[in-house]
Amino acid sequence: MKLLIVEDEKELSKSIVAYLKQENYLCEIAPDFKTALDKTESFDYDCVLLDITLPDGNGLNVLKGLKADNKTDGVIIISAKNSIDDRIAGLNLGADDYLAKPFHLSELSARIAAVIRRRRFDGNKVLVLNELTIDTLAKTISVNGKGVDLTRKEYDLLLYLVSNKNRVVSKNAIAEHLSGDEADVFDNFDFIYAHMKNLKKKMVQAGCEDYIKSIYGMGYKFDI
Amino acid sequence: MKLLNKSLKGHIVYSVLVLFVSMPVFYFELTSIVAEDVDEDLVAQKADLVAKMEKVIANKPFEYFQVFEPDIHIKPANTKRIKDSIYTISFFDSIAKENVPHRVLESTVVLNNEWYNITISKSLVDNDNLIFSIVMVQAIILVLIIVGLLFITRYHSKKLWKPFYVTLGKLHEYKIESEKSIELEKTEIDEFADLNKTISNLTNRNHEVYLSQKEFTENASHEMQTPLAVFQSKVELLMQTTPLTSDQAELITELSEAGQRMNRLNKTLLLLSKIENNQFTEKEPVNIDKAVQKLAEQYKNALNQKNIFLHTRVAGDAVIHANQTLIEILIGNLLSNAIRHNLQGGRINIIIEPNQFNISNTGNTKSLDESRLFQRFQKQTADANSVGLGLEIAKRICNLYKADITYNYADSLHCFNVTFNNS
Repeated sequence: MKLLIVEDEKELSKSIVAYLKQENYLCEIAPDFKTALDKTESFDYDCVLLDITLPDGNGLNVLKGLKADNKTDGVIIISAKNSIDDRIAGLNLGADDYLAKPFHLSELSARIAAVIRRRRFDGNKVLVLNELTIDTLAKTISVNGKGVDLTRKEYDLLLYLVSNKNRVVSKNAIAEHLSGDEADVFDNFDFIYAHMKNLKKKMVQAGCEDYIKSIYGMGYKFDI
Repeated sequence: MKLLNKSLKGHIVYSVLVLFVSMPVFYFELTSIVAEDVDEDLVAQKADLVAKMEKVIANKPFEYFQVFEPDIHIKPANTKRIKDSIYTISFFDSIAKENVPHRVLESTVVLNNEWYNITISKSLVDNDNLIFSIVMVQAIILVLIIVGLLFITRYHSKKLWKPFYVTLGKLHEYKIESEKSIELEKTEIDEFADLNKTISNLTNRNHEVYLSQKEFTENASHEMQTPLAVFQSKVELLMQTTPLTSDQAELITELSEAGQRMNRLNKTLLLLSKIENNQFTEKEPVNIDKAVQKLAEQYKNALNQKNIFLHTRVAGDAVIHANQTLIEILIGNLLSNAIRHNLQGGRINIIIEPNQFNISNTGNTKSLDESRLFQRFQKQTADANSVGLGLEIAKRICNLYKADITYNYADSLHCFNVTFNNS
């Protein structure tokens, strides 16, 4: 998997690269508009992380160039401007997703995974992790071939943890992922505990190994 | 008190004072002059009488005098000579047929070694009428002058102060956030021209300060996002390091929480400056009832957690022409406050009426300080989750749509009311 990170803030792109190395992605960095344009013209990427506000140009023009060349790179816009207009403009131009800064790396990782899954043309939208199988199209899971009935939230939670497997995902990131803006208002993690407890129980009962580990109350990790 | 009335007040008090003091003084002065005149007349008449008496005394009795001069009485006196006296007395007048005041001179004279008592009286009724008429005419003239002067002064003051009132009206309408600078009329009075110039300078300066402050908030929030993003990503990377002790994990969690709070604060400030910059221009008919339902669904978890009973009553269709996002933020802020500050197993009532809605909740049994409620960072609880900007945002949104937001505490319910003015 090849990824291009178009981001002028060096520290941020470094963090992204460091976080994503677990996934065995090949990450390249374009710190400015010109490099981004050169790279996207010369190579194909599975996913481009695109910052809109670059020192020497508007990131949206990179996106326009990609679409003009009929490239199929997945594009996730990461912008400091969390405005609806920007979001709509980006998505209308053909971006796959939009993430406002500051974001959780785990959220970014999950979004990248989703974009890559969606772009895969071999039709393989099923994740297999030992005895656990996740069908991302049907949004169902099965353990050892036997279906496990999960609620929507439990499924989201599992997929989120799997997208960040072997890394600690903070409670905040989970809360935000599961409830969107509501997490902003109620800094209450009780509902995560409840969902987590149910998910773990259902999976263990179905004969799945207990992969989800709580890390010192800091967050959770899907350890495989 | 209005400026005009204030300046007229002195005039009025002085005029009334002069009127009430001058009228009696005038009256008494006139009366005394007339009385003096009458007295002199009486004395002269007496001298005349005595001279006549000496001529007449030999042949005619004094009764004849009575016939021609009904005001003169002559009687033989047996007493000794008494001093001349002049006094006023009322007695019946046969012509006027009523009691009439008279000025009377009483005297004793000696003729041929005989004493005679003479009284000469003079009716004062004509004089009194004259005095009364003069005083009345005088009073009417005085009243006319005073009233006229007051009206003229008032008219002139009004004209004189007109530029001042125009400026005052403009200042009333002036809003610092409006783009236009204040336009003041030209005036020929130096002081007012000076005042207008000073006001123009002041408002222009204020507007500039306001703009730069607004810009600062906006820029600061924008610029803050990148370091915040870096901070948050580094904390997340820190979480991945191994080996990790529980102490370290606790510190990282606390760091992450602090970052989250900064994040939230920054987002809210950005939203605030967006509202102030009028960046939510799209308007559409927004159904309050539907918005409330949507938000109640969104906050279902939180409501369930605190076991709060949410009761919504729709007393009429409330459709507001506004920005959907802003109205949802407004209701969301009020609703989340009602949840956050609620009791376990408490209650929230939402009443929707045409052009207004009410959100009331149980909670702390103490009324909140209304004067500080809608101000920035005026948290009335130590809740770390609230950034203290929720109600400020609500207020701003209300201002934008010329709606009134009020708070009151009654029957153990904290109630927020939003009324949209139909305009």
